[in-house]
Amino acid sequence: MTGTENSSQIVSLIRTFKMLNRFNRTRSDARQSRILYFDMLTEYYTQIKNAHDAGKMIASHPVFFPAEILYAMDIVPMHTEMTTWMDALFLKEQGELLAKGAELGLAPEICSPHRGVAGMFALQKVPRPDIILWSNLICDNTAKFGELVMQITGSPGYFLDNPFQNSPAEMSYLVGELKDMIHFLEQNTGRKMDYTKLSDIVVRMDHEIELYREISDLRKAVPCPMSIDGYLELLGADYMFPGQPASAKYLTLLRDELKIQVESGRGVISPERFRLMTLFIPPLYLINHLADIYAGLGTVSVVEPMFTRWSEGRLDPSKPLESIALKSFLLPERRSMYGLFGQTAINDITESAEQFKVDGAVYWAFLGCRHTCATIKIIKETLNDVDVPMLTIDCDLVDPTVNSKEDTQSKFQQFIELLEDR
Amino acid sequence: MKTIGIDAGSLNIKVVVLDDNKITGYSIVPAGDDGTASAKQALENALVLQGDACKTVATGIGVKLLTFVPQQKSITTCLARGVRFLFPSVKLSIDMGAESTTVIKLNDKGRLADWANHDKCASGTGLFLQQMAKLMAMPIAEMSHLSLKAQSRPEITSTCAVFAESEVISYVHRMPPTPMPDIAAGIYYSVVSRVMSLCKRVGIEKDIAVTGGVALNTGLVTILEKEIGTKVMVPEVPQIVAALGAAIIAGENAQKGITQ
Repeated sequence: MTGTENSSQIVSLIRTFKMLNRFNRTRSDARQSRILYFDMLTEYYTQIKNAHDAGKMIASHPVFFPAEILYAMDIVPMHTEMTTWMDALFLKEQGELLAKGAELGLAPEICSPHRGVAGMFALQKVPRPDIILWSNLICDNTAKFGELVMQITGSPGYFLDNPFQNSPAEMSYLVGELKDMIHFLEQNTGRKMDYTKLSDIVVRMDHEIELYREISDLRKAVPCPMSIDGYLELLGADYMFPGQPASAKYLTLLRDELKIQVESGRGVISPERFRLMTLFIPPLYLINHLADIYAGLGTVSVVEPMFTRWSEGRLDPSKPLESIALKSFLLPERRSMYGLFGQTAINDITESAEQFKVDGAVYWAFLGCRHTCATIKIIKETLNDVDVPMLTIDCDLVDPTVNSKEDTQSKFQQFIELLEDR
Repeated sequence: MKTIGIDAGSLNIKVVVLDDNKITGYSIVPAGDDGTASAKQALENALVLQGDACKTVATGIGVKLLTFVPQQKSITTCLARGVRFLFPSVKLSIDMGAESTTVIKLNDKGRLADWANHDKCASGTGLFLQQMAKLMAMPIAEMSHLSLKAQSRPEITSTCAVFAESEVISYVHRMPPTPMPDIAAGIYYSVVSRVMSLCKRVGIEKDIAVTGGVALNTGLVTILEKEIGTKVMVPEVPQIVAALGAAIIAGENAQKGITQ
């Protein structure tokens, strides 16, 4: 493929990120880490846009996929769900992608980011990936939709099988899977795995996980120094730039900014009236509006145990593949969303409530993610046992027809009244 | 101290006047096309009886229209206050209005502890019951009494008002037709099954109250009692509970010096 191919969505995203940063740079109160984050996104999508002209291969991959392997092989990664998220967040063109997904026969009950990904490839909104990678981490939709993308794009693909449990046998199995995937990539791209580069990536990834833990600790401060829109940046930094110099720089800068705020006793909301736990992910198209709602009600999201609390463990650059496998077991999402929802996940919820001095919790019940919604009752009862009320809002991550701003605001208002009244 | 609560519902505007913790007047006026005018009319009706202006709090789905009332509270908070005032022992209250059903749970202090509501489909609401009565060509009160004579009940979908309607039509017109009392009971069971799922979401705990206009429907309340396994408390005028709660909050706000 050459520069003649259609990449209208990518071009629009790049233009939007540049425009946002032009605006951010004129504001004295803009967070420098946010400016850096948008620069990173600009660079990420510029790499995708120019990949084929530069003679590079593009590999598309889903959430929770070890993109470190791709970076080490100098293959350009394209995070599929994040790209539909970005579309919902910044371009508001998700309706077109979802409509195309529906045309392909994907029912509304199926995860909307995945429906959007199918629509995005079918409409050729992004450059055609040369390789399709996918895995069963984190759900059945993730496990199956790669085959559909292969059919739409005609590109070869590889399915990475992730075991449920963390045992030596399963760790060794996952390392074997990674080796097989590398072999597949080498055969299909002509690129060789650079293990020295992979070790360097592991060094940075290990550092980044430590930075995530520090950032999480800083958010325990009262008042809390970070707002809910920072949550999505934390996700994007790992999902799109794992072990990359840019993400290490971003997380270091964010950590330092938060540290200064904590030391000076400045919160992101003043006065801070209520500290909330966020469960799952709020609708992306509402995120800016949500930040306003939170600010207006003196409310701040302080912890997201399902997404931003990494498990204990360190990566070892002398064993890069084993470290990449281990990282997939340290992922915050894995405890509550993959395999058993066990005592560790429950403890994580109660410990977070206590350590972050949470007043209430909001569960964004994404209708397309049925396996996580199955845990709502357990989580609610767990939180109620430690005297933390939980609001459940049925929603969709990218489809704006499920919740209106007004509906969300009204539910929030009711919940805040409940907290005030206790 | 005299206070007023206004509940701007989708079908009716309700106003309650509270004087030293006693309901001294109330008014229920159809919302009509102009909710603001209807609210002013309801307020006027109540004030004609009372004679002077006082602290007011507004609530309900149409609360945004009541721009002349500076203090507003959500329906769940108001329901909790109203129910506690009428029935201090209540832990769970089911409010069945024209367009939505809300289940609230109260803590030991009578404050709102949790809630769940259906607001996406007309199935299980007062308007749904009105529509069903129209299909069966009888007033809603008659449908209610008829349901008490049911010998059995057909299954009617509880997830979609439109599908439920076509099912009821098929029961009415099949040969031999399904007895009307059974169809009426089937309709009420369909509504009650939705309500029960909401109750289970917040946890069923006695004592239980039922409020809102649908609470006047004895046939439905009887079936609800069977399903929930206990008698429920129904206020004399179940439509005005949220307005009553708003009037109580108006008093609390006045005591705290809150004006906005």
